[in-house]
Amino acid sequence: MVEEADKKAILSELENSVKNLQEEEAVEAAKKALAAGVDPVEAIEDGLAKGIREVGEKFGRKEMFVVELIYAAEIMAGAIKVLEPELKKAASKRNVVAQVVLGTVAGDIHDIGKNLVKIMLEAGGFEVHDLGKDAANELFVEKAKEVGAGIVGASSLMTTTVGMQKSLVDALRAAGVTAPMMVGGAAVSEEWAAEIGATYSSDAGRAVDTAKELAGKGE
Amino acid sequence: MAAKDIKRGLFGMKRLEVMDQSGAEAIHLNSLYLLENMGIKVTSDQGRQLLKDAGADVDKNTKVCKIPGYLVDEMMRKCKRPVKMASRDSKKDFVLDGRHCYTCTDGVGLSTIDLETGERRPSTKKDVGESAKVVDYLPMMHMYNPLVTPLDVPEHAHTVHEFQVSMDNCSKHYTTGSTYKKEEAIYQLKMAEAIVGGEKELKRRPIISNLTCTTSPLVLGMTTDAAIEFSKKGCPPLLMAMPLVGATAPMTVAGATLLGNAQVIALATVLQLAAPGSPLCYSSEPMAMDVQTGLMEGLFPAANMVRAAHVQMSRYYNIPIFIGGWGSCSKEPDVQAGYEKAFSAFIAYLSGADMTSGPGLLENWMVLSYEQLIIDHEMFTMMADMLKGVKVDDDTLALETIEAVGHEGHFMGKKHTIDHAREMWQPMVTDGQPYKTWKDAGSKSAADHAREKAKEILKTHHVEPLADDIRKELAAIVQEAEKNIPAK
Repeated sequence: MVEEADKKAILSELENSVKNLQEEEAVEAAKKALAAGVDPVEAIEDGLAKGIREVGEKFGRKEMFVVELIYAAEIMAGAIKVLEPELKKAASKRNVVAQVVLGTVAGDIHDIGKNLVKIMLEAGGFEVHDLGKDAANELFVEKAKEVGAGIVGASSLMTTTVGMQKSLVDALRAAGVTAPMMVGGAAVSEEWAAEIGATYSSDAGRAVDTAKELAGKGE
Repeated sequence: MAAKDIKRGLFGMKRLEVMDQSGAEAIHLNSLYLLENMGIKVTSDQGRQLLKDAGADVDKNTKVCKIPGYLVDEMMRKCKRPVKMASRDSKKDFVLDGRHCYTCTDGVGLSTIDLETGERRPSTKKDVGESAKVVDYLPMMHMYNPLVTPLDVPEHAHTVHEFQVSMDNCSKHYTTGSTYKKEEAIYQLKMAEAIVGGEKELKRRPIISNLTCTTSPLVLGMTTDAAIEFSKKGCPPLLMAMPLVGATAPMTVAGATLLGNAQVIALATVLQLAAPGSPLCYSSEPMAMDVQTGLMEGLFPAANMVRAAHVQMSRYYNIPIFIGGWGSCSKEPDVQAGYEKAFSAFIAYLSGADMTSGPGLLENWMVLSYEQLIIDHEMFTMMADMLKGVKVDDDTLALETIEAVGHEGHFMGKKHTIDHAREMWQPMVTDGQPYKTWKDAGSKSAADHAREKAKEILKTHHVEPLADDIRKELAAIVQEAEKNIPAK
């Protein structure tokens, strides 16, 4: 068993490396955590995730920039990669608010906003299954069924692809997926979301609040 | 942000020239011709005497002084270079080296758009103090020129009251925009000496400069006496020409430029005779006539072109320039105020102006708007960011980062992006939110955001106060000045 004091030190190293945007330090701290026998789930939840949550809060208060938030997420992803082999073997599981299937709809390749939502959701305790951009409706349906999605999120930036959100809702419902649907992107409005039976968020920060409200409503 | 951090032209950006070199030479030579053959009327006794002693042909009756060209040339070479603009807080000092751009508040209005009621009312000493405090806060404002004249103090001594309340509320360089009498100058300089610790120190660190007007066409008025006092104390006068294109100056840009230039170099000659090697700056605040109505408008294109041509002339003489007034004829902080100010200021800075006054006033420099002051500061920060030019080196080309991101990736989470993100211009009041967020937050315009910002600054900004003994000394000088400055 790892000494309590050592564990605490390692967890705060993980947290700080994300918080302070130190890429190499994050990887080092993750290696240290493995060597010391720290539970990888704890390393994520009480270390890395704490760091990204703080970055997210600072971003919300306009104390940090969006590019810093994304960088922090990449740093976190890099550290998780180190933890991954142990993570698979770990007895404990991550405490997940809900499974989210997320993607930019078919015909649209604009994914920066969607990526931001992903980062914020992950920082907020959601497990996000990212379908990337130009994702076909069938992909959404398949993944939602596979992971038992609590929420499906779809983004579109172009007015020419916003209609795809409606056809996605129809496809999901036809396939028996009842998870609530979240939509966003420059081409989307609150009125449009209401029309197709989805919930709108205007930015990544609000998407987390919306997701928390929607989590569990699909059952 | 320290004033010296604001850089332009450092990376090879070229100045805009509105005339070719022979055009600038023609303006100079014809100015010499006018001064030597037609002469300039000098109503200041002191000014006339100085010119006479130096060899000018002075007519006692008409007060017209014909100044030999060689004398003007010689005096222009004597001007101190570079010119330093010091501040109450020495960390905010700056040097005019021709490579940096600075901004000063506009002057001098007579009324204020009240921040609380939105109504126009006569301006007060409190307005001078509060607008000075806002300027102290705004990171890219470098100098304070009283935005309004206080109408609640004895009129003959308003300039000493302005200086007093400004020093209480602002630690940046001070420019007096309406010191017309010698006595006012003497008392303001006495106050400045009290603040910096004596005559010698003031010469080393001039915390006050004096915007001094010549009169078009071709008159140096009594304000010359006040300017001479500033020159003697090493505090730079800013020699302003204010030709009204089509009214007190020819209808053509070149003609108005010539007339204004002749006035400026004539006054520079007088001041260099009074105090050889003293610092001074060229200055220009032309207006143009609306040929339909006869009204004068400061921001008509012709007036802006005279500004740009005068900037080029200041470079010709290698002395710094203070371009007056990117004001606006608009009555409120609106679209018109925005485009008039933006065009006017930007062409001045692109031409290489060291300083401009502009932020804060509306209606041809008549009324103070706190909202406009904050918006104008925002405009200046945008301009200053562009004026830096483009730095091209291995780091800024980002070749490795481009390769690392690859096809279809993005740069948002890359170290190179983070390293440079803080250099990116950031808005203070410009609204960039999407429609929904904007609507939910009350559908606020830039002016609404600016009003809130001004209120917040006045509530929370702390200005390092003057030492008690200095405050007492200043109060005593103001009292003495009230007694001794003549009413007329």
